[in-house]
Amino acid sequence: MDQVSAWLHEKNPGLDGPIGVDEDLIEARLIDSMDFLEFIDLLEEISGTSIDLQEVTIDDFRTLARVQERFLDPAGHAEVPAGHAEVPAG
Amino acid sequence: MNTSSITALPDIELKSPGAGLITLDPVRTALLRGLDDLLTGLAAQLSAPEVVGPPLLSVDGLARLDFFRNFPHLGVSAGRFGPDVLDGLASGGSPQDLPLQPTGHVLPSATCYGLLLSLEGADVGEDGLRLSAAGRCFRNETHYDGLRRLWGFHMREVLYLGTKDGATEHQARGGEFVQQVAGRLGLTLTRAAADDPFYDNGGSRARLMALDPVKYEYSAPDGTAIASVNRHRNFFGERLSIRAGSHGPAYSSCVAFGVERWVHAMILAHGTAEQALERLRAAVAGS
Repeated sequence: MDQVSAWLHEKNPGLDGPIGVDEDLIEARLIDSMDFLEFIDLLEEISGTSIDLQEVTIDDFRTLARVQERFLDPAGHAEVPAGHAEVPAG
Repeated sequence: MNTSSITALPDIELKSPGAGLITLDPVRTALLRGLDDLLTGLAAQLSAPEVVGPPLLSVDGLARLDFFRNFPHLGVSAGRFGPDVLDGLASGGSPQDLPLQPTGHVLPSATCYGLLLSLEGADVGEDGLRLSAAGRCFRNETHYDGLRRLWGFHMREVLYLGTKDGATEHQARGGEFVQQVAGRLGLTLTRAAADDPFYDNGGSRARLMALDPVKYEYSAPDGTAIASVNRHRNFFGERLSIRAGSHGPAYSSCVAFGVERWVHAMILAHGTAEQALERLRAAVAGS
């Protein structure tokens, strides 16, 4: 998660302080649409798993809490099979 | 806008000056004006004051809004002849192959750009701001098709800047208005998520838009999109330092109508331009 936060701060140099785990990254454009694929690449690199965009929803990327749960938490991976993004993990 | 009730024209043909360029006859002009009046009803419903946007936009301003990154193909440039060729032109030389000097301006491709650029640095307050405007917009296209795809056309927009929730509500109320007006006019419209013809089609922006549509189009039965509702998140607020009071960078959304396309949809639905005008007048009289 540190890598994700670092990436977000790099993309948003004007940000002061930490990003709240429930902050809406999409609506506030902390993940800009032009950088969205780069963000996916980052998550794939950290998790070592590929992300199929047919099997996710926008809410999977909306907050740091959800990103952690959906893509970065090993327990979450085990309990949230692809295609069942709405099922709470862990 | 008052329109002459005289729609008969002597037996004269109004020629098209070229691809994508049309002189509207009196009946279609009456349709255009009458439809724009009706569509301006959204501005009245939402208490959006009417303004007139600038006829040209600075390329510097548009570049800051990523316009050229997203739509490098669309912009119709406002060039001018340089002083070195003026004598030749004045003595009858052909302008056809003479180079134009850039002016740093292009014609608007959408009505809201000029309004947004005019609001740079503004604080629209906690309650936000709505503006309504219509203007002629210009887009270079690969092909043109009657009133469906013109080089220049009228776009009516109602723009909102303010809070995130306010932008969402504006989009929703705009969508309701589109369907309500369409019903009064006897038009059947289909609503679908859409994306603008971004240059990176298939790239990052397109992927995000597929997951989280920010634009919905309302289309006639032949597929012609005649209205759209769009939200921009806080993009314009950030890029232009437009604030919504203590909420920080303003969120924005807009409702847009391609007025010539409404004329097209009316003719498609009612058979002829004359019948379409009759239907429009009946709808206005019945309101």
